[in-house]
Amino acid sequence: MADIGAGLKQLQAAYGDSIAEMSAVYGIPRLKLKKADVPVVAHYLHTHPSLRGALSLLWAVDHRPREARYELCYLFTLAEQKDWLLLCTDLQGDDRLFRSITPHIHAAKWYEREIRDMFGLIPLGHPDMRRLVRHEHWPKGSHPLKKDFRWDTVLERAQGQYAFRQIEGEGVFEVPVGPIHAGIIEPGHFRFSVAGEPIMQLEVHHFWKHRGVEKLFEQKQLTEAVPLAERVSGDTTVGHSLAYCQTVESLLQVEVPRRAKYLRSLFLELERLHNHLGDVGAICNDTAYALPHAHCGRLKERIMQLNDRLTGSRFLRGVTRVGGVGIDLTHEQLTQVVAELDAIEPDFSELERILFANASLTDRLETTGVLTERTAWDHAVMGIVGRASGIDRDIRRDHPFAAYDELSPKVALYRYGDVRARMRVRLDEIHESIRLIRDIRRQIPQGPVLTQLTDAPAPGTWGFSAVEGWRGEILYVVMAGEAGQIHRCKVRDPSFVNWPAIQWAVLGNIIPDFPLINKSFNLSYAGNDL
Amino acid sequence: MFRIIRKSLKTGVVTGRYPKADVSPVPIGSEAAEKTKPFRRSLTIREVDTGSCNACEMEMNALANPVYDVERFGVHIAASPRHADALVVTGPVTVNMEKPLKDVYKQTPDPKIVIALGDCAIHCGMFKGSYAVTGPVERHIPVDVHIPGCPPSPSEILKALSELRDEGCRSGD
Repeated sequence: MADIGAGLKQLQAAYGDSIAEMSAVYGIPRLKLKKADVPVVAHYLHTHPSLRGALSLLWAVDHRPREARYELCYLFTLAEQKDWLLLCTDLQGDDRLFRSITPHIHAAKWYEREIRDMFGLIPLGHPDMRRLVRHEHWPKGSHPLKKDFRWDTVLERAQGQYAFRQIEGEGVFEVPVGPIHAGIIEPGHFRFSVAGEPIMQLEVHHFWKHRGVEKLFEQKQLTEAVPLAERVSGDTTVGHSLAYCQTVESLLQVEVPRRAKYLRSLFLELERLHNHLGDVGAICNDTAYALPHAHCGRLKERIMQLNDRLTGSRFLRGVTRVGGVGIDLTHEQLTQVVAELDAIEPDFSELERILFANASLTDRLETTGVLTERTAWDHAVMGIVGRASGIDRDIRRDHPFAAYDELSPKVALYRYGDVRARMRVRLDEIHESIRLIRDIRRQIPQGPVLTQLTDAPAPGTWGFSAVEGWRGEILYVVMAGEAGQIHRCKVRDPSFVNWPAIQWAVLGNIIPDFPLINKSFNLSYAGNDL
Repeated sequence: MFRIIRKSLKTGVVTGRYPKADVSPVPIGSEAAEKTKPFRRSLTIREVDTGSCNACEMEMNALANPVYDVERFGVHIAASPRHADALVVTGPVTVNMEKPLKDVYKQTPDPKIVIALGDCAIHCGMFKGSYAVTGPVERHIPVDVHIPGCPPSPSEILKALSELRDEGCRSGD
């Protein structure tokens, strides 16, 4: 908290009257604001040159039945020190209205629409009041995360149609794509407006896969929900389960053994490796360059089979547990991992040389799908996509978790923001992950891998955790309810933040390049739709 | 050019280098076998995701990599349901995906078979009962083949598919 003391003082000096209460949770300063003052304070935080706060997460909590109020929480990451700052405000009793911050802070757009859908709270002054999660056939007044909405409600079907933004004019065509796509990918709808080949506008219409994950969490005990977290987004099994476990551990205030922390880092890096290898191949495949796709598919498969041999799951399921990890690896197994990677790295480097020597591939990737640093910052874009656009953020370095405080990962950073930059971030991270795993083998201490859990925390206390998954920052906020039950679990996959940004990255590109740009983002639909 | 040739020669053939599935797939009923008859040794698949966690999609994609190379068994993945013989459906059917699923089923030309892939498609798995889930695939369209697992590994999928092909060929004799 000392680091951002100066910024906080400035904020206090400017808006001292608005701050009703100040505290700190897990080292994150928490300011309780009067409801009407949130937009101005948020605007100040966002634009002040020494604060430059990017909105990382915005979530709501229904405190009933304990208290008759809704709470809105705005988590900001301050640009200079990457510190977190939390703003909170209450909606007392039957109050359903709050002022939108979207007119000043672009990144809040989807969050506020989500809150409107899930809680029925109305963001006044929001420029886009269409439904987001609930498609038009959902009945009016169904807000699933309200406490009086039963988790197993059978929804009736209403009528209605989503109103896409339309561009009209001579020679302007609309191209609808999805929800079912040509490849083996998840469902989502894209609506292009084109004049000739270049894209004038793209509108992403998602949430086809909404499964009610956050409500399902609320039906579970704190220590029992790990398998559900693993299935939020299957390709990020370790990322999500680790973020969930860390959140619950912060709630229960248990310390995880060092060896378990190292193993968690190991599994997270293995997950990063197989996903990045797959992505590099898939990007090449979308330029119709099949050779690297085949090689990457082969290398990815080697890692998946390695996962299977180590843990009995190709996706590393059942590995992360609250309080540690469920599987300990022997010294021989760790040596096996490093030996496998020692074989994969030169193999992959050869492939890299083939990629870089190919001028037509470079031609397709360079200047395609540029996401400028400014746009990326405005949307608080993160992860691979952010680092390819000059957003220098990586939780592994900025807020070390697991064993990253002793591993010091190097962060790949590029500024061009095109498909090639996003591929290069992946290439660098593949080598970095292999290096980290070698370090893990060298440094891992002996000891237990699972710790005893303490009793259920008091109702109303909350935990928070951030994990740098292979796609980017995964955030979890969990609030404890009665007798170890989950009262509220907010899940934030990086995809939710990065999806709106893709609408800007494609502008001016031709439609045939869209699959390529989409692949270079490679966002999760399941993690986004929840 | 030489770099590429050298790489290919050095790598050699990797097809088939995977641990064989040890679980026996759910037996294929006589009705499903009968329905597979027209496809004989070739099956064109359209994959439809109705709300999975995307692990099943990753394993379906893995089928196309050089290690599993599903095309060597005559299984082809089509880009549109209109070109498909079989629909592979993954995930519990969400409220929002119910209509697209039924549309896809209608768009697939007869004769066709439906394969429910993964636990979610078969019995909704973890998402059973949720307000946003309308039930397993079977509730909306007739399912002929079940491939359980969370997710089923590519070798398990491969085994189930070749079983299906064998059944189809046998009943054709």
